[in-house]
Parts: sequence; structure tokens; C-alpha cells
Amino acid sequence: MSPRSSRARNVFEPLDRDAVAEIWNSRFAIPESVFSGYNFFRKARSIWAISDSELPGLSYEAIGMRIMNCKDRPWKPTTCALQVFGPYAEKNTMHLQAASARLFMEGKTQEVDAVTAEQCESGYVVVFYRGDVLGCGLYSHGKLVSQIPKERRLPGKEGEDIS
Amino acid sequence: MDFLDRYRDIVPDWEAFRAVQFRPLISTARINTLKIGRDVLLERLAEQGLDCRPFQWYPLGLKLDVESPGKLLETLLGFIHIQEELSMVPPLLLDPQPGERILDLCASPGSKTTQISAMMENRGLVIANEPSLARVAALRSNCERLGAMNVAITRYDGRNFPRGLFHRVLVDAPCSAEGRERRGAGVIARGSCQRSLDLQALQIGLLKSALRLTVPGGVVVYSTCTYSPEENEMVVQAALDAEESSGAHLEKVKTPGLRECPGLEEWKATIFSPQMRFAARYYPHINDTGGFFVAKIVKS
Repeated sequence: MSPRSSRARNVFEPLDRDAVAEIWNSRFAIPESVFSGYNFFRKARSIWAISDSELPGLSYEAIGMRIMNCKDRPWKPTTCALQVFGPYAEKNTMHLQAASARLFMEGKTQEVDAVTAEQCESGYVVVFYRGDVLGCGLYSHGKLVSQIPKERRLPGKEGEDIS
Repeated sequence: MDFLDRYRDIVPDWEAFRAVQFRPLISTARINTLKIGRDVLLERLAEQGLDCRPFQWYPLGLKLDVESPGKLLETLLGFIHIQEELSMVPPLLLDPQPGERILDLCASPGSKTTQISAMMENRGLVIANEPSLARVAALRSNCERLGAMNVAITRYDGRNFPRGLFHRVLVDAPCSAEGRERRGAGVIARGSCQRSLDLQALQIGLLKSALRLTVPGGVVVYSTCTYSPEENEMVVQAALDAEESSGAHLEKVKTPGLRECPGLEEWKATIFSPQMRFAARYYPHINDTGGFFVAKIVKS
């Protein structure tokens, strides 16, 4: 994509709902109906979702929630979006036990066994613990890399970053 | 002797008021019904042996006596939000309904914004306005963590917010924050009458703007966490007297389970409208909270 003026980068462009739903459906097998109550927008390389309602003509800093980043391939879902849409996922989901869930929430990388990763292809996965979505993980070759944003992590055992 | 002494004649039980300033407040949190049910959440906290007690006046509010409540998994996942007890009052008075269009004129860090969003069950639209880019980051982060999907953020000067109309507008105004002394000592040491008067001009501008942006019959809630009448009753009076709010009136603030003191009818040489008693002053020694002021204005 060619460089654009800062003004152009700041514009939210409406996106077709079905197109977004199809992308999520293809990676996570989330029924497209899950997305029916939302409108979608694109700003630069990010896609945003907001509850369906008419938006007054204002200059917006954010429209709802940033749900995915298309800067790199494959596209990356945000942790907060997986907490909303992830519970409906039927593939590329991973359910962790207590100790692994803790490591994941600390932002760590860990090995996962074949049974845990049974439903996962390489790439971004929805990580669960006790039925709740913890967030986004990057899975490949038996390794799970936590994608939990820094400010959402549990403080690590070493005691770093507790403030 | 300090700046608070000027309130000696308006605060009931002065000695108790002075004494409570030195007692720190324990943390409080709000259950985020956008992500979890109340019973399930309470069960989870009890399972971990955490000391938490629901408020008597609001079933979604919790006193949470733990060391770092911000680092609980429940907070990180957005099941609860650390929020001052009385900060949960203004959204309840605003009473937003699912499907309505709401404006939160001074939104960051978004505690009240997300409470409004939860009350609307993510339906309708909340415009969360916050002029400061630095403060927008916290607002966005809280909206995303709590799963508020019906919030759009703008960055206007609230006094010149360009267009409406809104069913309800919340003005949780920048203030001298004297009521937060129990949270972080030193707030009162920085207070001065001049500071209150400087803030007053901004507060009046914000409240007048809110009244302009509200539909006829709509509601504007004005709140601060300060005792200063210059930032409270004087602001409400100035906005009521303004041309754009002709016929607007105050509705009585009453939250069952909390004890309010009425808004002042006079301060120094200024006499306020008799309806000012419908506004509410909350003092820290009466409900064991911080200090707060809130007024509910209905536009005719």
C-alpha cells in the first residue's frame, strides 16, 4: 500500500460485514450470524467493530473495538476481539490446564502436547482456560507463543513488571 | 488548619469528617455484566478465598480487600473493573436505556463510560469524548478490556462539541478532586479557591454544552469529586441560568442505601435556586466513601 497523507490514514472506511464474517469463519469456524449485530470499519491496516447503530457525522478517534490487524500475513485477531467472538469458535481453539494458563497470561512461550493442540493448525489460535477465552496465541510446531498485550499480563514469577 | 476549613459550616459532624480523611479507602470494583454474570463472578472470587463484599446499595459494586486488585485474572479478563464506589452513582442517575444515543463528555479513563455501555447491554451508541490523546489510550484500553462494543471515541473540546442530539449526556467534569484525599493524600494541600474558580469556567462551559446537545426531555448528569461549591452548585446554577437551558430543572437525587446531603442553598454571598437542594453532596464519613457531588438536570 502506498504512503498516504495522515488525513487519509485517519479515515474509517465502512467494510462489508459478510466479508469480515467470512474471514473469521474460515480461520475459526465462527458462525457468520455471530457478526450480524455489528458494523465494521477499516482504518489503515486495522479493522474495527461496533454495535449496529447509526453513527453521527463526527471525527472519530476509535469506532468500537479494534478486532484485527492486517499489517502482516496471516491477519492477526486482537485478544479483546477473541474474548467477544472466540467463544463461538469451533476450530483453532486450545484449552489449557492451570499451570499452562498461568504461563500464557504471563506472556510466556511454552511447549504444548499433541492432545492440547489437536484442533490447531499453525497460526493464531483462541486460547481457553476453564471455558473462558484468555486471548490470542500463536501456535506452530508444538510451541504456543502468548500474544497477550503487556498491560493485560499477570505479573511473572520473577517479579518483573508488577507495577 | 488547611483548605478544607472553609467547609466547616456546610459539612455535618465536622470532627468525624476531619478524622476520616486519614483513613485510606479499601478498593472497590464493579462487576462487568457485558462479560460475566454476577453469581458466577462472586463464586469465582469466593473460590479463591478473596475478601469481597457486595455494596448494600448496588448489587454490581464490590468492596474488594486485596493487595493488587488490578492484577487479578478477573480484572485482566474484564470480568470486573476497579472503580470508586461513588463513581458508580452518576451512570445510575443517567439511567441510559438500550438503543439510546448517549454522550459522555469527559470520558477517560472510561469507568462510567463502560458502566453506561453495560447498562445498555451493548445496544445503541455511547460517544465517549476525551480531548487529551494521552488519556484516550486508557479509555480505549478499558473499553476493549471490558468488551464495550457500542462506544465510539471522539477528541473534541467538550465546550465546543460540534453536534448532537443525545438522549442523555454525562458531564463528569475535571475538578479539584478534594474528595479523593483518602485515595492519595496531598490533593487537599494543592487546593485553592483560585484553582476552583479556574476550573469553574471550564465546568460551566462543559455543562452548557451538554444542555445544548440534549434532546428536549433528555437528561444531563453533572458530577465532580470535590466539595467546592464554586465547582458544584455555582456551576449548576450558571448553567440553569443560561439561555440554552431555559426551563431545565433539577430532579431529586436519591440512591436507596446511600445517604445524601442536599445541595447548598447558599454559599458566601450567593443564593442559589431553591431546587439546588435536589442535588446531592456525599461526604466521606457518612457512607465511608470518597467525597462526591452530583446533580441531575432534566431539559424541558
